[in-house]
Amino acid sequence: MTFELVSADEDAAVVKVTGELDITTIGDLEEAVQPILERGPQRLVIDVSSLRFADSSAIALWVKWSTIVRGLEIHDPQPLLRRVIDSMGLAQTLQVTP
Amino acid sequence: MTASNGEKTVPATTPHGRGWPYWSVVTVAVVGLLVTVGLIVVSTILYHNNENRLLNLRTRDIGSVLTAAVPTVQSSVASTATFAEATNGNARKFDEFAQQFAGQGAGHTFVSMSLWRVDNPGAGPTTVVGAQPELAASMGKAAALFARAAASHKLTVLGLLDGPAPRIGYAYVEPGTNGPYAVYAESLLPAKRYSAPSNDSSFNDINYALYLGKTPTANTLLLTSAPRVPLPGHRAVVTIPFGDTFLTVRATRRASLAGSLPRDLPWVIGIVGVLLTIGAGALTIRLIQRRRRTEQLADENRRLYAEQRGIAQTLQHALLPAELPQLHGLQASARYEAGVEGVEIGGDWYDAIAVGDKRLLLVVGDVSGRGLQAATTMAALRYGIHAYAAQGDEPGTILTKLNKLVSVKSSGQLATVLCALVDPDARELTITSAGHLPPLLISDGRGEFVNTDVGLPIGVDRNAEYTSVTVPVAPGATLLAFTDGLVERRGESIDVGLGRLREHAASNHATLDELLTRVVSNLRHDGAEDDTAIAGIRWLS
Repeated sequence: MTFELVSADEDAAVVKVTGELDITTIGDLEEAVQPILERGPQRLVIDVSSLRFADSSAIALWVKWSTIVRGLEIHDPQPLLRRVIDSMGLAQTLQVTP
Repeated sequence: MTASNGEKTVPATTPHGRGWPYWSVVTVAVVGLLVTVGLIVVSTILYHNNENRLLNLRTRDIGSVLTAAVPTVQSSVASTATFAEATNGNARKFDEFAQQFAGQGAGHTFVSMSLWRVDNPGAGPTTVVGAQPELAASMGKAAALFARAAASHKLTVLGLLDGPAPRIGYAYVEPGTNGPYAVYAESLLPAKRYSAPSNDSSFNDINYALYLGKTPTANTLLLTSAPRVPLPGHRAVVTIPFGDTFLTVRATRRASLAGSLPRDLPWVIGIVGVLLTIGAGALTIRLIQRRRRTEQLADENRRLYAEQRGIAQTLQHALLPAELPQLHGLQASARYEAGVEGVEIGGDWYDAIAVGDKRLLLVVGDVSGRGLQAATTMAALRYGIHAYAAQGDEPGTILTKLNKLVSVKSSGQLATVLCALVDPDARELTITSAGHLPPLLISDGRGEFVNTDVGLPIGVDRNAEYTSVTVPVAPGATLLAFTDGLVERRGESIDVGLGRLREHAASNHATLDELLTRVVSNLRHDGAEDDTAIAGIRWLS
């Protein structure tokens, strides 16, 4: 799993996550995103277009962020991930786009 | 009504049967020393071969120098003989001519030179230049010598002559004449024939001994650079022609001819070899000790792993119901399977709770994450459901209340839960899902996933509300509720896994226990990471 901060300003940040995200790797991502959350942005876009796998603990982490940042957006999940999010009834909570 | 144990593949701690661990050190030391000794032997042999080769070359050099010096002696005597013949033995002219070769002092080749008549040696020399010849003292010797000289027409060498100082004699008769004139010369040898080599001599690295003739004896020794003869040790020998006889050079080394490094090389090899052997031995000891420590650590880790896995499984099974309630007309069964990385306790659970005498609440849930935190939340949710069910709450109410026990914002955890309330008399099923995968309902050999109204997972939103769906159930139907570990594989859609489940669960000829066993063994692939809970209910009529 790798991640990069694509852009970050006062109001919005975009973080792109690549590879596989599971309980062994979410700690790194959480640590990296923490400073962004502390700035209190209006929007936080997690670009997961290159993420091949995310387990329930990763989804739980995103849901946690959605309770902190009103405008959390999970952008462009691959079909397998999209299906998991849908099956958990979280498509709206996570503001999955497109 | 069984809750099967998870697979217990605890690696056995194998005691390592080891003997004395330092045999390899002994081996290293022995091999190192053997190699060192071998190298010393080889280098010593090579050194001596090389020294002997050099000694032979040096000795041949001495031979060359002597070979170059012989003509001086030979031509001096021969030219004087030719002159004597030409001047018909004129004594005065002989004296004048021979003065260039003979006389006292360093510039002369001979100490004595004399003219003799071959036909009458008994008369003594006709004339003498320089010292009196020692030969004059022995007329018999003189006659034999001149006879030999006349026959050979070569420089004829008379061995050492006794006298106050050792001398060597040479006679020559002009070829083609049979006499009457013979020239006889004597040269002086050093006292004791020993001459210490000077440091600037090009031959000061060897000892040599020069003998007249081919058999070296004390009596034929002409000259030596060694205080004692015969020379000790390995000798090189060169023989060169000298008149009608030979000169023999024997030589030994005084010092290393190739220099000090080749001489000291075996020592250097020995010292370096022993040091390297000691170093290799020490290194081997360190490696052995490190390996032993590593093995001890590995043993310890294996033991700890087994212990931890054992604790996790014990705790997991303690948190799951020991047995499921029995209700008339219903059969219930469940399985829990730990993931391969089952060192930590998982967050999956199943439950079956009797509601009154007639109804059964089947629960399957999955708390996100792993470890004690997940297990604690799982336990809280499980007992929460027990409490709400005891109060007579319907599934929708149960989950609505349950949702207030967990908050993803504070704990980072959420849970998916499926509650199914089974009423065998009413032949219907009331299902509520909090973000959970739909259960499979199998009737008449056909499986269909129940279309639940999926609510938010537990812990996402405090104000979430959960609604139930009620579906009719055919006689003999089977309901399977499960967690995602059963159908989810990395890189594959859960729809594929759900399809696989429907296919394997389709035939309901088997008993419920057999069905669960078959489904679990067919769907759980080797090395499944996630843990799995599956619970089933069968209507007996």
